[in-house]
Amino acid sequence: MVALRKGITTQIAITLIIAIGVSLAVGYGIGYIASPGKTVTVTKKVTGTATAAPAPITLTVIGPWAGNEMKAFQKVLQAYEKEHPNVKIEYRIYRAEDLASVAPPQFAAGMAPGDVIFDAWGWWVTKMASKGYLYDLGSLVNTNEYVKGIFNPVTLNGKIYGLPFTAWAKPGFWYRKSFFAKYNLKPPTTWNDFLSLLAKLKKILNGPPIVTGDGTGWPISDLVEHFLITFGGPKLQLELINGSVKFNSPQVKSIFEQRIVPLLKEGYFSPPTEWTKAVQLWWQEKYALYFMGTWITGMVPNASDLGIFQLPGCKGVVMGTDYIIVPKFTEHPKQALELAKWLATEGQKIHVGTHSGKFATWLKVPISAHWKPMQEVYIKLKSKKPLPDLDDTVGGSWQKLFWDQLKLLWVSPGKLDEVLNTLTANFPKK
Amino acid sequence: MEIKTPLKTQTSFLLPAITLILLFVVYPVIATFLLSFNVNPVPGVDITNGESVGFNNYLKLFKDFQFIKVEGLKTLSFPVGALIDNIIWVVIHLPLTVILGLFLAILLYNVRGGAILRGFIFLGMVIPMIVGGLLIQFSFDRTLGVVNLFLRIFSLGWLAKSWTIYPNTALLSLILGSTWLWTGFAVTMYSAGLASLPKEVIEASIVDGADFKTIVFKVIWPMLRPVTLTVVAMTLLWDLKIFDIVYASTQGGPGGASMVLALLMYNYFAILQNYPMSATVSVIITIIVLPVVLLWVKASMKGVESSG
Repeated sequence: MVALRKGITTQIAITLIIAIGVSLAVGYGIGYIASPGKTVTVTKKVTGTATAAPAPITLTVIGPWAGNEMKAFQKVLQAYEKEHPNVKIEYRIYRAEDLASVAPPQFAAGMAPGDVIFDAWGWWVTKMASKGYLYDLGSLVNTNEYVKGIFNPVTLNGKIYGLPFTAWAKPGFWYRKSFFAKYNLKPPTTWNDFLSLLAKLKKILNGPPIVTGDGTGWPISDLVEHFLITFGGPKLQLELINGSVKFNSPQVKSIFEQRIVPLLKEGYFSPPTEWTKAVQLWWQEKYALYFMGTWITGMVPNASDLGIFQLPGCKGVVMGTDYIIVPKFTEHPKQALELAKWLATEGQKIHVGTHSGKFATWLKVPISAHWKPMQEVYIKLKSKKPLPDLDDTVGGSWQKLFWDQLKLLWVSPGKLDEVLNTLTANFPKK
Repeated sequence: MEIKTPLKTQTSFLLPAITLILLFVVYPVIATFLLSFNVNPVPGVDITNGESVGFNNYLKLFKDFQFIKVEGLKTLSFPVGALIDNIIWVVIHLPLTVILGLFLAILLYNVRGGAILRGFIFLGMVIPMIVGGLLIQFSFDRTLGVVNLFLRIFSLGWLAKSWTIYPNTALLSLILGSTWLWTGFAVTMYSAGLASLPKEVIEASIVDGADFKTIVFKVIWPMLRPVTLTVVAMTLLWDLKIFDIVYASTQGGPGGASMVLALLMYNYFAILQNYPMSATVSVIITIIVLPVVLLWVKASMKGVESSG
């Protein structure tokens, strides 16, 4: 019996070794045959010629917009389809964080989830470009016709891998003019004014006056950046981005300690609330102030009732754009490149005229072409220094960490040192 | 009369299944194991992080505060890291599931409308876990949540808050939420077990004057041992690979206070595209899960042998 058992064990062991050997050989062999190789080579034939009548094709466009933002963007796509009857466009929604998860493995396998893709993260665009996944789009447009510095985040080794679409800004605290008029309130002109406004609002609302938006965490980071720019100047934002100033430095720590943490401890901020739900609560006057990007103008029922103020003394404003990229694995490179070029130029004209809450980055679009509420925002912001978004520029795992740590700070202000030290220790090394 | 199947025929039947298992199960498992040591298992494309072959990834993982946070352990405050969070999950969730499952199954046994109530309890198992995660988030919300509503009803309104956004309560609320989602499984298993028990044994103990406690713990509980074994094994596996409800509700936050191993593995894979580190976490999960699976298989085989 023992001998039989031993025999069976030996047989199992031998079978296992053979199975492992065979599976490795077969798996590795299939991988070798299917592998796209270390360098990505594009062998797909460019479809369509100048002389032949082009066959109708469908392009897939990926963007982050849903709801009203999507409706505004679809007007742009419809205009393109009207101009190009041979092209049909299918729009798919991917948030930047989802795209960053889904697209790289597809690119690595030689596939593209979309023909034309929008992404706000310059760091991600250059990362994908460095692996050879994207087309160089530099020759499609005249870069001098765009807002200065807009191509910097998507430039790698002198090549431009993303074209700017319309721009957003994260300008300050939004309020309802009618609410302020009802309680005879005025936007603050000094820090003390701001504090007394918050105290009055807390009394009126019998709760926190500022609603804190939460998604994957980014609305809190935008708010914190606004405080850093106001009290550290635009230079501090740039120094934090390039890593020359650390988060646990005395300058940064004092801004948190003296400006942000006291407001948290006073209960002036609501707990983090899903950011679109927060828009509704704020509009229903459950809260009085909301720090959000300019796209909020397209999300409220009556944009003419919107007022905005920055923290007194603020000299900068975070601005950014959604970059248009074209993966090398598109089935229709010619048409995809044409669409990318059109979106970065003529498409902007149409988009800023809708309720998108965006500015044009193509300087050939006049301010008069913008939606009226955005013209007012533009007038308020034109004297401010445009600055890149801190976490969108640093990117990588640190971006997610930044969002998460600020959420922690918002509910546990006593953990300030821990938060700042974690952000410093994990900041990407050059 | 014994019909002998020729060896060739046997092999031809086995071959397709073996080929598929080798390709889609055995090879990926070995490839993941190799990748965790920075050995590239995919020819043509280097998916390692360019470091030398060895234990580097394991050392890096143990230094990652998201995997284990020593300061949190010293001060007994969250975050404490994914490994400890998973252990906490098992320590709280497993006994709760077993006790609640058995208690509800006995409570609803032979009760009119018990099947309908069991159906309601089982609903938690039917909904996709990603939706379950969102439901947990809403259930613990300060203004909308049913949990806070109950607290207010029982004059405990001062406790009402958005439980999932605070570091000290985020993990606990997820564990409690997952208990609601998973209890349906335990109730169903125990209900089936109860239905298969010989009624005369229970009736005899009643005739002998045994009280309820004695019947439950001295008669029913020992007879339900195989069911308990399955519930414990499946719940343990579920706890150790928990991902979707955490991803949907807290994303492992705030500050990593509700991070779990499977989410950490996903973050390495999908966000950082650091495939070797992701493979390292998956090997760690496998090492933790494997003894549970082996014990369960062994116990199940024993059960089969004894019943055979």
